[in-house]
Amino acid sequence: MSDARQELARAAPVDEAAVSPESPQATVGDDPPPQTPLDTRPPRGRGDIVRWVAWVALAVVLLALPLYLTTPWLRVGEYVMIGAVAAIGLTLLTGQTGQLSLGTPFFMLVGGTSYVVLAGQPSEISDEEFLGFGLPPMLALVLAVVVAAIFGLAFAPVAGRVKGIYLAIATLSLVYLGLYLGQSLPYITGGTASGRNPEDLTMFGFSFTSNDPEISLLGVPLRDTERLWWLFLVLTAIAYVLAQGAIRGRPGRSWRAVRDNEFSAAVMGVRVAWVRAGVFAISSAYAGLAGVMTVLWFGLLKADETEFAGTWSIVVAIGFLAMIIIGGLGSVPGAVVGAMLVNGLPLVIQLLIPQSSVLRELTGGDNGFTPIVLTAFVYGLAIIAVVLFEPGGLAALGRRFTNALNSRTKPTKGN
Amino acid sequence: MRRRLAVPAMALAGLLVLSACSDKATDSGGGGGEGGGGGEAAELATDFGVTDDLITLGVLTDNSGPFKDLGLGVVQGHELWIEETNADGGVCERDIAIEVRDHGYKADTATIQYPELEPNILGFMQLLGSPINAALDQNLIDDEVTSVALSWSSFILDNPYVVIPGTTYDIEMINGLSYLLEEGLIADGDTIGHIYIQGEYGENGLLGSQYFAEQHGITLEAVQVTSTDTDMRNIVTGFAGQGVTAIALTTSPGQTGSAAAVNAQLGLNVPLVGNNPTFAPQILNADSAAALENMFLVASSVPYSSDVEQAQAVAEAYEAAGYAELPNAGVTYGYAIGEIWGQIMERACENGDMTRAGIQEALRQSENITTGELVADLDFSNVGTPATNQVYVATPNIDLPGGVEQISELFVSEVAETYVAGCQE
Repeated sequence: MSDARQELARAAPVDEAAVSPESPQATVGDDPPPQTPLDTRPPRGRGDIVRWVAWVALAVVLLALPLYLTTPWLRVGEYVMIGAVAAIGLTLLTGQTGQLSLGTPFFMLVGGTSYVVLAGQPSEISDEEFLGFGLPPMLALVLAVVVAAIFGLAFAPVAGRVKGIYLAIATLSLVYLGLYLGQSLPYITGGTASGRNPEDLTMFGFSFTSNDPEISLLGVPLRDTERLWWLFLVLTAIAYVLAQGAIRGRPGRSWRAVRDNEFSAAVMGVRVAWVRAGVFAISSAYAGLAGVMTVLWFGLLKADETEFAGTWSIVVAIGFLAMIIIGGLGSVPGAVVGAMLVNGLPLVIQLLIPQSSVLRELTGGDNGFTPIVLTAFVYGLAIIAVVLFEPGGLAALGRRFTNALNSRTKPTKGN
Repeated sequence: MRRRLAVPAMALAGLLVLSACSDKATDSGGGGGEGGGGGEAAELATDFGVTDDLITLGVLTDNSGPFKDLGLGVVQGHELWIEETNADGGVCERDIAIEVRDHGYKADTATIQYPELEPNILGFMQLLGSPINAALDQNLIDDEVTSVALSWSSFILDNPYVVIPGTTYDIEMINGLSYLLEEGLIADGDTIGHIYIQGEYGENGLLGSQYFAEQHGITLEAVQVTSTDTDMRNIVTGFAGQGVTAIALTTSPGQTGSAAAVNAQLGLNVPLVGNNPTFAPQILNADSAAALENMFLVASSVPYSSDVEQAQAVAEAYEAAGYAELPNAGVTYGYAIGEIWGQIMERACENGDMTRAGIQEALRQSENITTGELVADLDFSNVGTPATNQVYVATPNIDLPGGVEQISELFVSEVAETYVAGCQE
């Protein structure tokens, strides 16, 4: 009996996708995100163990990677994790609740700036002319996330009332606000010239962002890049687990209720405006964490020079949308895979195709057809392919795959 | 229960076994080999990017973003210099090679490319873009990588490993305004307008005009624009109302074109003076040529079409090489950067120390680097000080390759001599 129920629950998302046109979501040009089954207890039995083994294996591989990968590759992985954290936050907002936002870079900037300011040395101590409160860096990291959430909550009058694509336009203004504030408050943000360096992230004398103290594991010296990898891995895991938990629990149900039909949600006792404002704040907190990670990754906080190119720009906002669309709206693992494609793939291509060799031969000289241009094509094609062939995104592809596996293996085992 | 424990245990065991064959385990901080100098008696100390027959330098440039034209030109200039130098036997009895990466003006990409290149290069022949320079600033210090920045902001001189091959935007602006003064185009007590772009580039140029205005009792009307503003009509009209006698520009080429066009349309026709990045041959066409006639470009490097002997030689080599692109001033500049690196490396070679630290030492001993007047003579001995205060003035001319005609010899104004730029003590 329980097997049958799970089968139903697993099959549900695919069926949902088929009836999507009724959903208000369809106007945004995408399918409703995967539904999480009502019965969210993890399945018991052999599948459980397989899943367990898979997770442990994945964890071991990810934990061991710094021992093998060189610095450039580790930095690519870290950049993917930054994207994953922000994309998870955005998929809660856009995928689960049906609210479109382009404001992610703004909240990243808020988070990153908050960390740098809270952890930064007060100007009386350091000779830098920047604002700083000198808090312990770990505390500053947590507070930075809180500050980003508060900024998100402050946007509640808009976020609670404005729906879907209209919210996207409203949040677009935040990117411009961030650009303006970043440039006009160099005392806080470091300005556009040279920016300001974040304080080392240390805990109990152990630094995650420098080589101090020098240690090594199995003969591999553990320098800043390796340490940052593990830190990011923990932060990403926390972000992942919290998001999955929320989606499976009561908040997730109210998000989806609001997304699918706000009137019936209201009838069932969901306070629509509250839910919208709340999920916006949560999404902002995720972006804030991604912002702190960005600042640590660059080792620099620097305001952008234009709204179109830079760390907190519109292009970045669209990148996050691309991640969750490619990955499948509303799916947390999908957001992570989307981050791999959008943040990771261009850099991987960079590393795989050294500029001076193949492309130059193919295109006959210095005509500017470099890996950067190539990645723009690959990334554009990926989005087009997903929208054309699998509107549910890679998450739907993954579900279809596991469904196929299950239907092949289950009957022989169950009966 | 037993199975549950078995899984992590096996995984851990696997990890231990695997890590025994990790490549990184043996890697302990670069190949610090002491290469014997090709049969020479003297031992040459080396660390990164120098082998017995090859010196490798890195180039992080923009071949696909907003500075594509400049980036391509400068790299082509590097290539011309390298070809010539290698044909003459190289530097320190070694050939020169460059590893080029295109970052598309994106800092995140550049921070991936940097650690990929860094272990294999002696230094950077080119680091293009202020976001990229800012993002890599600390890395250059940590790894002691001497690098030529393709940015002329005196703000970045606080890093001893950053080399600006020429003067800085603030000094360019002071010299440019002084030129107008000497030519009688402006006078003490005038009002001058300055359009500057938000950010490092514009703010550095503004420092120059502010200083000049102070020294000459000039009223400065400074207006900030963002890099995406394209229409300068309102601003120039405002300047006309304020009765400006000249307009200073620290802008993008497109903005320069707009300001020049409005200047002519309104019949204002005041002289324009611009920093070296304010002009690109692309804004010069039959329609705009007249409006750009009273524009004065200030740079510490010569234009492509310059009469300077060495510039002519570079132009010849460029044509012979058969590149597909139209030449711009970047070609000459890229060649000049090669000359600068060549002389620093020669000195390091004489010192018997071609390590990165040796390059830095040689740089600080280089009080008089000459590039056949492609760029003014450079003095790198003072950290934090621009290597020269001298500039050329040029004006757009549609009939010349590169679109710019040199109209002055190298000079430095008295005002610029008194100005303290960058991070000087």
